[in-house]
Amino acid sequence: MRKQSRNIAFAAALVAGTMLGTTASMAQMVDSKRLETADRDAKDWLMYHGSYKDYNYSGLGQINTSNVKNLEVAWMHFPGRTTRGMQSMPLAADGVVYYSGSYSRLFALDGATGKVLWTYFPELDDALIARQTHSPYNRGIAMGDGKIYVGTVDGRLIAVDMKTGKPVWDTKLINSQKLTVGFTGAPLFVRGKVIIGSQGGEWPVQGTIFAVDAATGKEIWSFSTTGGTEEARKTWGNDTWRVGGGGGWMPGTYDAETNTIWWGTANPSPLYDWSPNWQTDGARPGINLYVTSVIALDPDTGKLKFYHQELPHDNWDFDSAIGEFVMIDRGGKHYMVHPNKSGFIFVYDRANAKVENVWPLVHNYNFVKGIDPKTGELIGRRDFSAGPQSEPLCPAIAGGVSWNSGSYSPKTGLYYKIGNEWCITLEVVKTTPITEPQVQLNIGANFKMAPPPSGTIYGHLDARDPITGKLKWEVKFPQPPLASVLSTAGNLVFVPDARGILHAYNAETGTELWSHDDGIGHNGGIISYMAGNKQYIAVEAGFGGLVGDDYGSMFGEPWKSMPRDAGALIVYSLK
Amino acid sequence: MTKITFFICTLVGSILLFAEPYVAQAEQAGSSPAAQTANSSPASAVDPTKNGEVLFATSCGWCHSNGGREAGRCPKLAGSTRSDDFIINRIKNGKEGRMPAFGQTFNDAQIQNILHYIRSLQP
Repeated sequence: MRKQSRNIAFAAALVAGTMLGTTASMAQMVDSKRLETADRDAKDWLMYHGSYKDYNYSGLGQINTSNVKNLEVAWMHFPGRTTRGMQSMPLAADGVVYYSGSYSRLFALDGATGKVLWTYFPELDDALIARQTHSPYNRGIAMGDGKIYVGTVDGRLIAVDMKTGKPVWDTKLINSQKLTVGFTGAPLFVRGKVIIGSQGGEWPVQGTIFAVDAATGKEIWSFSTTGGTEEARKTWGNDTWRVGGGGGWMPGTYDAETNTIWWGTANPSPLYDWSPNWQTDGARPGINLYVTSVIALDPDTGKLKFYHQELPHDNWDFDSAIGEFVMIDRGGKHYMVHPNKSGFIFVYDRANAKVENVWPLVHNYNFVKGIDPKTGELIGRRDFSAGPQSEPLCPAIAGGVSWNSGSYSPKTGLYYKIGNEWCITLEVVKTTPITEPQVQLNIGANFKMAPPPSGTIYGHLDARDPITGKLKWEVKFPQPPLASVLSTAGNLVFVPDARGILHAYNAETGTELWSHDDGIGHNGGIISYMAGNKQYIAVEAGFGGLVGDDYGSMFGEPWKSMPRDAGALIVYSLK
Repeated sequence: MTKITFFICTLVGSILLFAEPYVAQAEQAGSSPAAQTANSSPASAVDPTKNGEVLFATSCGWCHSNGGREAGRCPKLAGSTRSDDFIINRIKNGKEGRMPAFGQTFNDAQIQNILHYIRSLQP
C-alpha cells in the first residue's frame, strides 16, 4: 500500500513535471498567436511598439506613482561601437532582453541581471558605410517563430536563433553598393513573414517594402512605394517615380481582424521642388503616389488594399514614415491614429483609411494654413520658387514630431506625444534632374534651423485625447526630447530627454514624480518587462542622430561636447 | 605565408576590380547625380562656382547649414582655414560617423567646383 502510494505520488509528480515543462516550453515560443495577443501580455515586450496595437504601453503596475521615487539602476549594458548613439527599441520575452546597437549588432541579456547570454555581430560592408549619411545606426529588431530578425545598412535581412544567437539565414534584398540605401528600421513579424521597409526619402531610388519567409529567408514579395501600381506611376511626371525616393524606414503594424499591414512611407526625392506649378512642372510633376502616405498591404501578396496620401506632392520633408499606428476602438468605431512628421495627427477608419479627423499637435506651422479635419485636404499649402524664401518654414525639417514613438494608455485614455516647436530658413535651389537611381542625396536646398514665430525653440510632452486632440496637460522642455515615450499601468509616463534625464510623470496630471540623469542624451527606445516577478524599465541612452546633430549649434553644452559614439542600455527597478 | 600573400593579392585585386568600373562609369557615363549635373549644366564650363553651388545644394546642404555659411549639424565652411588639399581629401574620404565619403559620387572636376563654391562664401 505504501509502495503503491509512492508510485502514485511519483507518477503524479512526473505528470505535473511534464506539464510544467510543457508550459515553460510553450511560454518560450513566441509565435503568431502570442504576438497577436501581445497587448494582453503585460510581462513581455514582444515587438517594436509592444503589441500590434502600437500603444507603447506596459500593463505592469508594480512600479507606480506611490513608489517610483524608489526607482534605481539595476544593471547596465554597454554595446560598444555606438556610432551615432543608440536608436533602437529593446524587446523582452520570458525574462530575456534582446536589442540591437549600431552596425546591427545583436545582444541577448538576462533581464534580471544583465548577464550576456549571446551576441551576434554581422560583418558589414565598411566601404559602403563610409559613403552613407544615414548610417550605421539600427532602430530595432523583430522576433517570431524562434528567431530574432534585423536589417543591415548594406541591404540585408538576417535571422538568428533566439536561444543561441547563431545565424539561420542572411538574405540580400537591396543592391546597396549601387543605391547607397539599406535598412535601418526594425522589421515586423506577421504570421510567418518578416516585413521590412528600405530607406529611400531623399535618395534617387525606388524605396521598397519587402516580405521574406521567416523560415527560409526567401523573398516572397516586394512593393515599390513610388511605382508599385500603374496608378502611382501616372502621378510622377517624366517617369520620376524611378528615382522618387519614398521607402518606409520604420516598422508599420498588422491588423489581424482584417489581415492588413499598415505602413508609413517616406518623403520624395528631391526634398524640395523649385516649381510652384508642381502639378505639371518642376522636379517631380504630380502628387507623387505613394510617398508620404499610409498604405495598407495584403500580407500574403503584397497587393495594395487602400491608402491615404497625407501630404500630396510633399514639398517639405514631412513624411509619413513614422511607424506609429495606434488602434483605438470607441463608440463602435475602429480607429487608426497616425502622426505625420509635420506635427499633424491623422485619425483614420481602420477599415479603409478614410479620414475621420486631423488635429495639430504643434503650434507653429505654416507649410499649410490647415488640414481639413473631415477630408484630410491641405488648405493653403505653401509651395516654392527657386531662391531664398521670405519667411522661415515651420515646422523645421527635423519635424513637428520625430520618428520615435509616443504612447497611449488604455487606462487613462490619453495619448502622450512629444511635439517640437522650431522652423528653418530655406533657400530652394534648382538642381539638375537625376534620371537614374544612383548614389547620394538629392536635396535641392540649403537651410538652417531657426526659432519659431512664437519665440524660442522648445519641445512639449502633450497628454491628449487621441481621437479629438483635446489637451489634458502639457510639460515643456527647453530642448525637444528625441526619444520614445512609455506609459504604464502604474499611472506613469516616462520621458527620456535629450539632455540625458529620464523623467517619470503622473499620467493623469503631468506632475513630475522622479528623475535620474543617465549621463548622455536619449535618442532611442524605452520599454518595461517582468523578470523573476520583478518589473524593470529599460531605456537606451546614447546621442548622435541626425536631428540631434544640430543641438550643439542650437543649444551649446552639453551637446557641443556630447559624444556621438557612446551609449548604454540602462535598466531600472525598485530598491 | 604563401596562402596569406595570395589572399591579400586577391583581396586587393577584388577591391580594384570593384572600384575601377564604378568610378569609370560615373565619370564617363555621367551616371551619378553629380556627374549628370556637371555634364548637363552649361554653367559648368564657364562658372565652376555656380556649378559647385548646385552640387552643394544637391548633396551637401543637408548637413552644412545655410549653404555652408553657418555651423549646424556640420561645421561652417565659409572662411575655412583648412587647406585645399584637406578639403578635397575630406570630400573624397569623409570622416567615420560624421561625414560620408563622396569619392565615388563626385569626380575630381566636380570636387574642384565644390571647392570653388566653398571659397566663394563670405566668412
